[in-house]
Amino acid sequence: MTGVVLRWLRRNLFGNPFDTALSLVVIPVLAWAAYAFAYWILVEAHWEVIRGSLKVLMTGIYPTDQLWRAWFSVATLCAMFGAGLGLAVRPTRTALTIVALAGTLMAAIVANVIDVPSGMLTTASASLGVAAWIGVDHSALGHRIALPGLLVGVVAIFVVLSPPGFEVWGGLLLSIVLTIAVSILTLPFGILLALGRQSRIASLRVISTAYIETMRSVPLILVIYWIWIIVPLLAPDTSVPGLLRGMAGFALFFAAYVAEYVRSGLQAVPKGQIEAARSLAMSSWTVNVDIVLPQALRVVIPSLVGQILDIFNGATLVFIIGLTDFLRAGQMILADPQNSGRTYEIYVFLFAVYFTIGGAITYASRRLETHLAKGSR
Amino acid sequence: MTTQITEYHHMPLARRRLLIASRWLVQAAIMTVAAGLVMWLGFAVREALARKGIQFSFGYLGNAANFSLSEGLVPSLDDIQSILEPFSPSHSNLQALLAGLWNSLKVALSAIVLCTLFGTMVGIGRLSTNWLVRNLSFGLVEGVRNTPLLIQIVFWYFAVVLSFPPANAASNWFGGLLVSRAGVFLPGLAISESSGLASWGLLAAAFASAATAIVLQALRLRLILLAVTACALIATAVVGFPLAFDLPSATRFGARGGIALSPEMTALLLAIVVNSSAYVAEIVRGAIDALPKGQWEASASLGLSRSHTLRDIILPQVFRIVLPSLANRYISLTKDTSLGIAIGYPDLFNVYGTVSNQTGRNLEGVVIVMLTYLTLSWIISACVNAVNARVNAPGGVR
Repeated sequence: MTGVVLRWLRRNLFGNPFDTALSLVVIPVLAWAAYAFAYWILVEAHWEVIRGSLKVLMTGIYPTDQLWRAWFSVATLCAMFGAGLGLAVRPTRTALTIVALAGTLMAAIVANVIDVPSGMLTTASASLGVAAWIGVDHSALGHRIALPGLLVGVVAIFVVLSPPGFEVWGGLLLSIVLTIAVSILTLPFGILLALGRQSRIASLRVISTAYIETMRSVPLILVIYWIWIIVPLLAPDTSVPGLLRGMAGFALFFAAYVAEYVRSGLQAVPKGQIEAARSLAMSSWTVNVDIVLPQALRVVIPSLVGQILDIFNGATLVFIIGLTDFLRAGQMILADPQNSGRTYEIYVFLFAVYFTIGGAITYASRRLETHLAKGSR
Repeated sequence: MTTQITEYHHMPLARRRLLIASRWLVQAAIMTVAAGLVMWLGFAVREALARKGIQFSFGYLGNAANFSLSEGLVPSLDDIQSILEPFSPSHSNLQALLAGLWNSLKVALSAIVLCTLFGTMVGIGRLSTNWLVRNLSFGLVEGVRNTPLLIQIVFWYFAVVLSFPPANAASNWFGGLLVSRAGVFLPGLAISESSGLASWGLLAAAFASAATAIVLQALRLRLILLAVTACALIATAVVGFPLAFDLPSATRFGARGGIALSPEMTALLLAIVVNSSAYVAEIVRGAIDALPKGQWEASASLGLSRSHTLRDIILPQVFRIVLPSLANRYISLTKDTSLGIAIGYPDLFNVYGTVSNQTGRNLEGVVIVMLTYLTLSWIISACVNAVNARVNAPGGVR
């Protein structure tokens, strides 16, 4: 056993003089940093601030007596996530065990930090997600209704959450709902732009290219801010909620990026396919919708999933139009004088949550890439 | 459609003309709709602004700004002696925007240089034979890429820079670098007392010949020019060097001398450099991975060490491949400077916001800012394309 360890150490850390020198510098620094960080987390940090502000972090200023709406969204999101998972990943026994353990742990933490009913609701949501995963994976019907089901889920979340007013949406819930809605909205617009850029009609090509290139060379924050400003000028009689204006800005911006991904997919479809379809006298519409797009979209699914991460990360910019997303909620808590010394606790928590979600999206994107690559070979 | 094309040459002339005409009509219709949409948007906004009593014009750019910025230099019009001067409220709105542009460029250019260096190092670290270095680099890249840039910026500002020691207890690194809550102060260059026409001329000559030596290809000419550079430098030193190191010295509220970086700029620069380095690292690693394995094996069989192989065989080829990807990264990085508004850094977007809040002129402002960012993107890709063309030309610089 020691022999194996020593051999591993020798090969991986002390293989040559340069590596040895590097290791001798890095190991002590790393050990010290790890010790200091662990000590801070376990001993010095005051985690009560998270417990006290969890409601604000998760839902912002959403009315406390309406929180069942937020719980409904959490359950729906879990079911949607499970259904999406069911389309791509098999629920193997190992995977289910891991999810069950993670769910139980999560529920235990929630029950401990907030209260027991919340813990039970977490368990219920997680179970719903697992049920959707297994259901979609096992039945042909589930497979067929999964994608429309996602749309229905988003609409349901909007309908249930909206009665107290869009202004009170906030926290992590806002970030996630915004991300999902924008990801779905960008798809049709991005596909149209990509087709426009490839069109045989020169003027469509010019317009699509100009739009895509302009959007890609200006900052996201400028687009969001400007759309937010411009909508009330265009429709002076109706008051469009800030959240919807923000979503429009996000969708207009990210559609240009979706268009570029889709275009790369369109280019990956062999020319012969289009020629063959045309020689069968199919119309341009049929060729695009039935032959080209299904193949093109399949290629770009990993990039589009990766793009969800960009949207989620970009969702922090809603502070510019006065919305309280997850990051902003954290900053609001720090603005309270009694929490002024808790900067690191809040930021470490925010980083951890962002990293967990971001890492999961990245992992999903990579898994899909290998999954789809397997099918095409 | 294909049937139309194959039949095209057998068509009667009249039908062919009709087909061409109908295609033109489609084009014209699409262009009209698009132009109409843009015009409708423009007119509707103009109308709405007119109802608020604001006319579309760029005249407001000449008016006094009446607000102050925490930093930023503007080209001065009245004073010939100093070409750049700090922004003050009496300057015009246009000068305010220029000060914002200056601040954006200051961060963007420094970040481009630093993230290329640091990112290449991390990218090589990702492929190190040392397990620890490899995984540390991987962790850094993943951690940075999976969290929003904005939280990184506010973290660097509120949690790192603002917890530096206060100005009167600034920590002094290596005698020349002052780090404090009031900002970071780097040693700079200042004009020394011994500057004269002769010393400046000699220094300029040294620079010119060094620059020519870099551009020229012929080895002998290069050597001669380098010798000229050395001679000119020695002569400058004898006459009296016109520039001297300017070390910052701490005062109660900050420091005097040297190059001062405000706390906001320090945080923004740190955040953007670390963030972009992760992306540059992935670009570099991808390029190294994409090179044929045979390159490593061939140079190993010639007895070259790993570091030698990397420096002389791999990296020169890598930099030929990565330039287009780097250009995209540089453009995103320049756009990312607009997030400085979250920590109160007066970049172009921030100043635009202030100006349009004060004057109500959003439409004009957005046109200016959009065109500026478009131009910046074009300049960056043009520069990188020029370098790319030169590096990839047969017999180009390696």
